[in-house]
Amino acid sequence: MDLTPFLTQIFIGLYKGSLYWILALGLVLIFGVVRVINFAHATFYVTGSYMMYTFYMYTGNFILSLTMATLIAGALGVAFEVAVIRRVYKLETIYQLLATFAIALIFNEAQKLVWGKGVVYIPIPEALREGVSIGGVTLNYYMILIMVIGLLLFIIVILFMNNTIMGLRIRAVWRDPVMSEALGVSTRLIYTLVFFVGAALAGLGGALTVPLISVGPGLADYLIVTAFIVVVIAGLGSITGAYIISVLVGVLSSILVLITPELDIVILYMIAAFILLLRPQGLFGER
Amino acid sequence: MSLSSRLKGLVNGNTVALLLLIAFLAIIPLTGHRFYMYIATLIMIMGMFAMGYNVLFGYVGLLSFGHGLFFGAGAYSTALFTLKVYSDPLVGVLITVPVALLTSIIVGVLTLKHGKVYFAILTLALSMIFWSALVKLRWLTGGTDGLVGIPKRGVFVDVSGPIVTYYFILAFFAVIMLGLYILNKSRYGLLLRALGANEDRLPFLGYSTFTLRMVALTISGTASALAGSLYAVFYSVVTPDVAYWTFGAEPLIMTLIGGPSYFLGPLIGALIFVPLTTVVARFAEYWMLLLGIALLAVILFFRGGLLGFLESLSRELKLGVYRRWRF
Repeated sequence: MDLTPFLTQIFIGLYKGSLYWILALGLVLIFGVVRVINFAHATFYVTGSYMMYTFYMYTGNFILSLTMATLIAGALGVAFEVAVIRRVYKLETIYQLLATFAIALIFNEAQKLVWGKGVVYIPIPEALREGVSIGGVTLNYYMILIMVIGLLLFIIVILFMNNTIMGLRIRAVWRDPVMSEALGVSTRLIYTLVFFVGAALAGLGGALTVPLISVGPGLADYLIVTAFIVVVIAGLGSITGAYIISVLVGVLSSILVLITPELDIVILYMIAAFILLLRPQGLFGER
Repeated sequence: MSLSSRLKGLVNGNTVALLLLIAFLAIIPLTGHRFYMYIATLIMIMGMFAMGYNVLFGYVGLLSFGHGLFFGAGAYSTALFTLKVYSDPLVGVLITVPVALLTSIIVGVLTLKHGKVYFAILTLALSMIFWSALVKLRWLTGGTDGLVGIPKRGVFVDVSGPIVTYYFILAFFAVIMLGLYILNKSRYGLLLRALGANEDRLPFLGYSTFTLRMVALTISGTASALAGSLYAVFYSVVTPDVAYWTFGAEPLIMTLIGGPSYFLGPLIGALIFVPLTTVVARFAEYWMLLLGIALLAVILFFRGGLLGFLESLSRELKLGVYRRWRF
């Protein structure tokens, strides 16, 4: 039996999983610290993609466009937190969900208005088009770069959370916002910071996507559902869990495309539903 | 309680408004104006959808982003049944009831044990699974083209004329509204609203929150599925769009516009939403953008919806009628 197609799908799954992880990380951080489920998270991601496209079209500089896309998505996250989310912290959870949902609706439509209903994409940078051959399958450097960025982000976030004062403060707010506030931690500042980091990460992920996958309307809907599935299976609030499950979901969904092209997503979701029935708190959740 | 006081209890803002609305809907075909009939039919269908949705949202306080699943399940089960098994619209609509019960129970088992936040996420995920299944199972559902030619002429009923279709839908509309009204007035409805008001206290009184939520989900899902089924009969076509999450969010938007803590809130929302979107969508391609902005404004500033606004206004003016619209 020829295993090459499987190997190809595994590689595709690995880089897709890394992209899911970059999206899920922000979602987990925002949920953990701010306790808001951010329906608009994938729209930050897609904003990153569109910004990347626009800047690349004007400047042709990959690194510059990537930086700008990340920062703009982050700034958007801050604006969103200050203008909308701050008003709904004290309300019921339902209204927080609704506010992020309304934002997602607005952004999706606004993006259609600005960038049209078609798809956008940019070429992979010249230097990264070459690749290495593993088991007869060529894996280009760009895909490797994405996997490395994913892994690096994981290491950096874990180190940051466990070994810095800021990380300690964030963990304190994560555990008990009222007590942290009493001990002089500015929760408001940390909320805004976490929104900036979460949205910027999403923007980075989105920007990295454009050279590989065409970006267009509907992508955000698909991504937010996938990210939710990842986060729910992992257990809301588990960073390590989110990384492992993202990569697993990426690989599994790519392999399923090969086995049952008709029902790849459906089967994946069914596995997810089954896991939830057995372990409601998710595989890595505490509760 | 004597009969006269019972009757008096029935005459309130809600019953009068509901009866007036049904009477009004019943005379619309007499105008012979096709466009008014079209709008009125959509109001009935979407009103049913939203009123059903609110059993979950307004009564029990659960936010579902996946009601497109129930609507779609209703629409597709009617379409498949009438096209492939037995060609009759009435049986086709009624068949959705068992389908909806089964769907609600499956969805409930998967989503209700994890708290409100998980419920919102999981209903969204489930509806997206359903949607992708509808798109991918081409041999059964016709993929993105959907199913066409759902028959209006059957063995038991023939609703091929526009006026007959209209009254066919109106009959279902009236029955469902009556059913929901009875639920609302019954002790069980009170129990469901008590669950929405304080979910921690009900278990102390010996009630299972899971069972109550399951009942609310089943009622809500069945009403939504019936709305979907009538939608399929009305258009004779179903496409996967009806199961997509943006469509599933429409009853939520209507409920928020009208006012979730009022019995007739969702229906009032539909009365505003349907004509507005039908007319606006004709000349503004990106009306969803306006909708999102309006939704955000409602969430941030008018959480009581239109009826909530009217209530605070009448309280301000000391009109004293405001209590009558509440549940």
